[in-house]
Amino acid sequence: MTLTAPVPAPVRPAPTRRPRRRGWSPYLLIAPTVVLIAAFLLYPIGSVFYYSLQNYNVTQPYDDGFAGLANFRHMFTADPLFWQSLRTTVIWVVAQVVLQLLLGLLLALIVNERFKARGFVRALVFSPWAVSGVLATGIWVLLYNPTTGAAHALSLMGIGSGDTAVLSQPTSAFIAVIVAELWRGVPFFAILILADLQSVPADLYEAANTDGAGRWQRFRYVTLPHLRGAIVLTCLLRAVWEFNNVDLIYTMTGGGPANETTTLPLYVARQALTDFNFGYGSALTVVSFLILLVFSVVFLRVTKYNAGRD
Amino acid sequence: MPRSLRSTATRVVSAALVAATALTLSGCGGSSSGSSSNGVTTISFWDNNGGPTRTPYYQELIKRFEAANPSIKVDYLGLPADSVQQKYDTAIAGGGTPDIGGVQQSYVAGLIARNALEPIDDVADSATLKGNIDPKVLDTIRSTASDKKLYMLPVSVNLDILWYRSDEFAAKKLTPPNTWDDFFTAAQALTDPAANTFGFSIRGGAGGTQALLSIMYAYSGVQTSFDSSGKSTINDPKNVEAIEKIAALYGKETSKADVTNGYKEMSAEFDGGTAAMMVHNLGSYADHQKNLGAGKFAAEAMPAAPDGTRTLVANAPDGFAVFQASQHKAEAKKFLEFMLSKDSNSYWNQNVGQLPSNLQAQKDAWVQANPALKVGQTTLAASTTHIVDVPRYLPQYGSIVESQMGPKWQQVLLGKLSAKDFADQWADLTTKAQADWVAKHPG
Repeated sequence: MTLTAPVPAPVRPAPTRRPRRRGWSPYLLIAPTVVLIAAFLLYPIGSVFYYSLQNYNVTQPYDDGFAGLANFRHMFTADPLFWQSLRTTVIWVVAQVVLQLLLGLLLALIVNERFKARGFVRALVFSPWAVSGVLATGIWVLLYNPTTGAAHALSLMGIGSGDTAVLSQPTSAFIAVIVAELWRGVPFFAILILADLQSVPADLYEAANTDGAGRWQRFRYVTLPHLRGAIVLTCLLRAVWEFNNVDLIYTMTGGGPANETTTLPLYVARQALTDFNFGYGSALTVVSFLILLVFSVVFLRVTKYNAGRD
Repeated sequence: MPRSLRSTATRVVSAALVAATALTLSGCGGSSSGSSSNGVTTISFWDNNGGPTRTPYYQELIKRFEAANPSIKVDYLGLPADSVQQKYDTAIAGGGTPDIGGVQQSYVAGLIARNALEPIDDVADSATLKGNIDPKVLDTIRSTASDKKLYMLPVSVNLDILWYRSDEFAAKKLTPPNTWDDFFTAAQALTDPAANTFGFSIRGGAGGTQALLSIMYAYSGVQTSFDSSGKSTINDPKNVEAIEKIAALYGKETSKADVTNGYKEMSAEFDGGTAAMMVHNLGSYADHQKNLGAGKFAAEAMPAAPDGTRTLVANAPDGFAVFQASQHKAEAKKFLEFMLSKDSNSYWNQNVGQLPSNLQAQKDAWVQANPALKVGQTTLAASTTHIVDVPRYLPQYGSIVESQMGPKWQQVLLGKLSAKDFADQWADLTTKAQADWVAKHPG
């Protein structure tokens, strides 16, 4: 009989923290957001890219099918309205952003000063922003109406003729819609710039005063550098917005007369809503998207937006 | 809470959220075709121009129909006229078309091209309707389809006429504009820019090219849209002459604002005293009657061509179509037959101020008592009247006429494009579209 040494009891490993089993829960929790983004953002964007390569006109279903780059070829080589509407869009965006910035800055500086009834004036300055797009358009269409509007009132006072139809002459129609959009857009700049103005540290002005800086120098060397970030971002947002603006021009002129106020998004809207040509409309949209993408990247680089931030 | 319980709860909540999202996302489909239960069949009916001026009369007719046919119930849905095409397009794509729907001939070709409609020649040949619907209008509708079948039936017939201010004509001792010479003389005589009054209102904006077609074919007397070789007649020299003469009125015998005129603006000029003549269909009678009152305006057929023939461009009639996907076509056709029967058709048109499509209803006293409708009826019935069927069957028709040529018509008015170049471009596009269509629909 042999004695065997007693086998030592197996050592239980020291209890360690069991890794928490997450399983599918996190994925399930973010799933609603992912599904919503996929359904309402990725799918529509993807389908626009897809249809831009297709012949897809609901009135001519027998021609539907893969078109390759034919839509783009037609756009760049055989569609003068594409180039015309792109030119109109560029003028529109530059005019809007530059004028809105200058006027918005001016208004913000004014209402940032202390004076009597400042609250009331601020409310007045910002009020157009609170007016809905359709209403704003309605107001301006009435103002420009040659039989009831401002032109009519002026003609009754002997200024101009009652036949002045601002929205029916090519040049005046474009200027008229620019003015109407300015009215609506300037408060946006004014609000954002005013918010930033109020955060300029007072001691900077005091220091500038001590150094003998005048009003203009204080603005140039203290205020403006402080506002830089706000201005760059607001300009970018506004440029993209104005590029895509459809409601005001569509309701005021419908792109006319003679396509003189047709911007690129308006042209896209017309392709879809009146011509039912979704293939070509998608191709125009893809080009607009790429233009905006390139513009945004270049704009942020040129203005050194990130370099200026901490 | 113990961990296991907590993680179960988390999973349940996440699953519920996912399910809720999925339900929300899928909650936008569904067919709108009718259903049957308890021996009652429900059919869906979409009105292509719902609103207070039409809906109550449809509802009354539906009530009458249901009383006479207790086994059929009609579900009415009124749609806004300006988005009805999109609604039909979405319904076709998603498989939710109604059993019967209101349609305009201007977009019926697109619906036929997608096999969305059911031929309804049998309804036109039914005992109630046979021989009672204006054959000229039925021909126009047949021309929409390559197989020459009827895919819609008209509820009203319409035609463009010349509306004029009879009070101003009387004041200037002018005769009603029966010929084009009368028309141009009157346009000049009734213009006084200092007083902001003009002889004519040109429709330069929405719908302007369609009105121009009416004017130029009436002026030229050209009687077909294409010549024997399949070439569009739009740039026929007489048509070009008409465009030139009308464009020459702009800014002189018309207001400068006319370049962007849609119906609303043109009608406001006429009713407000700024313009003494305008071209529009019978549909504007109610507006003039309301704004001007009887005795201040009158209607005249479009002036005749020099040889005396009156050439009218067929108006796109408003009517009904039965949808191919319907599960209750027999019931839908029965409802359609009822709607076009003499009494219903007369009731409907009297209330909306249109000329009935049912020839028996056209004889009713209320039609005879309405001077504008009477002009319309006599013009259509006259042997000297000729109807030009414009090619609304071309899928590109709407795009060519409205989106492409609309802005160019404005360029002509503004002096930036010659009438000849404009007509040539328009004719080219139409000829090409026609050739394409012929190639795809042999025979």
